Amino acid sequence: MALLGAAPAVGVVFLSVGVALLSERSPTRLELERAWAPPSVALPLGAGEAGVDLLAALAHGTTRALLLALAVVAFGFMTGTPLGAAAGMAGGSRATALARACDLVQSFPSFLLALAVLAAVRSPGRIHIGLVFCVTAWAPFARLALLQATVLRGAAFVEAARALGASRFRILLRHVLPNLLGPVAVQCGSAAGAVVLGEAALGFLGLGPRDGVSLGALLEQGTAGMLRAPHVLISSALAVAAVSGSLQLASESLRRAVGGQDDRLE
Amino acid sequence: MGALRLIASRLGMALLTMWLLSSAVFLALRLLPGDPAALVLGDLAEERERAALRAKLHLDRPLPRQYAIFVRGMVTGDLGPSLRQPGIGAFTRVRNALPPTARLAGAAVGLGALGGVGAALLSVGPWLRRGRRWVELAGIALGATPLLALAPVATYLLAVRLRLVPLPGDPSAGAGGLLFASGLLALPLGAHVARIGRAALLELGKAPFLSVARAKGASQARVWILHALPAASAPVVAVVATQLGALLGGAVVLERLFERPGLGTLILEAYASRDLPVLEAAVIASGVLFVATQTTAAAVHALIDPRARSS
Repeated sequence: MALLGAAPAVGVVFLSVGVALLSERSPTRLELERAWAPPSVALPLGAGEAGVDLLAALAHGTTRALLLALAVVAFGFMTGTPLGAAAGMAGGSRATALARACDLVQSFPSFLLALAVLAAVRSPGRIHIGLVFCVTAWAPFARLALLQATVLRGAAFVEAARALGASRFRILLRHVLPNLLGPVAVQCGSAAGAVVLGEAALGFLGLGPRDGVSLGALLEQGTAGMLRAPHVLISSALAVAAVSGSLQLASESLRRAVGGQDDRLE
Repeated sequence: MGALRLIASRLGMALLTMWLLSSAVFLALRLLPGDPAALVLGDLAEERERAALRAKLHLDRPLPRQYAIFVRGMVTGDLGPSLRQPGIGAFTRVRNALPPTARLAGAAVGLGALGGVGAALLSVGPWLRRGRRWVELAGIALGATPLLALAPVATYLLAVRLRLVPLPGDPSAGAGGLLFASGLLALPLGAHVARIGRAALLELGKAPFLSVARAKGASQARVWILHALPAASAPVVAVVATQLGALLGGAVVLERLFERPGLGTLILEAYASRDLPVLEAAVIASGVLFVATQTTAAAVHALIDPRARSS
């Protein structure tokens, strides 16, 4: 069941990366004479503004969004999880302090921060977007690891390890971390979906990468040209929905398989 | 008094968040590479003009002094005049942009709360029988559809192709445009409310006080609406208030999606024309709205539901 739920996400990844890597189509080459051309044999999804090949643009845009999500989520997972686990093991004031810090970061309007930072950069790129997202990416992972570690702290096997004289670091590394990795890792899918949506939203506002190869920029093209060429809007909206929806579905079904907590229910 | 202490600590957190956000905005516009004066005036501007602008924005002072001026401006509500509409204060432009944003967010959250609570009741109550599963599935599907993809497609289909509704950004459409935009926004909000409300109602479903009400001969509608719903209201109120905060703080994307005026449009306009005082004021005002609604939500939640005070 869990694997079935992850199948759409795997499909989206293979499709976009496959087209981006294997086909010769360029996402930036413009041919004015084919601007807003409807789908045809030569252009399976048609062309967008200034004749950009939509299939190539969507595939490259999705691939780059996925790479950005991978980097941000990997950073958040690798910093947040040990932080939360260590604070949960320590308990007391340190656990409370981390919980408060997570509250603070998660209630921080990070989209506004991204806007202010991107406004100040001369030519914003994915690297800037990624850096801003990284500032807040660790919090959900830290919170989940904190919850799990607080539960594990009282488990019999942790007590046994303590009785055998294992150091705190050893208990954390060998006994607690392996047991909370699963429930925390299922968070990765929904976190990646959020990064993809955030990047698309910034691109839609015109704050994305300058070369215009991003899902959001294509969606913006589609909105602007919806009267002339609705295929641009339809295919880019479907792409955004497919990427974020499939990541969410994968995360949800993996969560059910591992029996993890639903963070959205508080 | 657990509730009062919680509210006090929440208030402290809100002030801390605001201080962090405003300082980040202050620093972002000053520390990042690139001369703001050159960004505003363009590369071709003469050094004399740039120096004049830097003096006007206090950029020629040392950073701590600039920060002091900035903090004083925040507290007194005067971050200087707008660069593009000289003579009008930055905060005045922000204040003028607020009503449309508040109208859209308020209408969307209100519709979403009504629809969501209704759907939650239908999905747990006995009225729909088999149909209950479909209400739940529709909610999940709607909740997973990003608004960013849904809104333009719905606008295209309903307003452009079928001409059933006015374009949401058409100034002459008036209430119709507002209703369409907020109705569209209400779909994912309502789906989320329905999910939370359903979980809360299901948890209550077998509670003794509902059995007592049933034993006294109350109708199903009376049992669910008058007895169960108030007991399940705390998490719903919390979610609805958080959504209001997210809409007020996230107005940038929404207003661009629907091409409606408001605080978000002002932020984009100030960004595009590098109107730094207005950009600062609008981003900070947006953040204040976001954090203030969230804080109020937490406080109301704590007042309604004693269990929320423990954490």
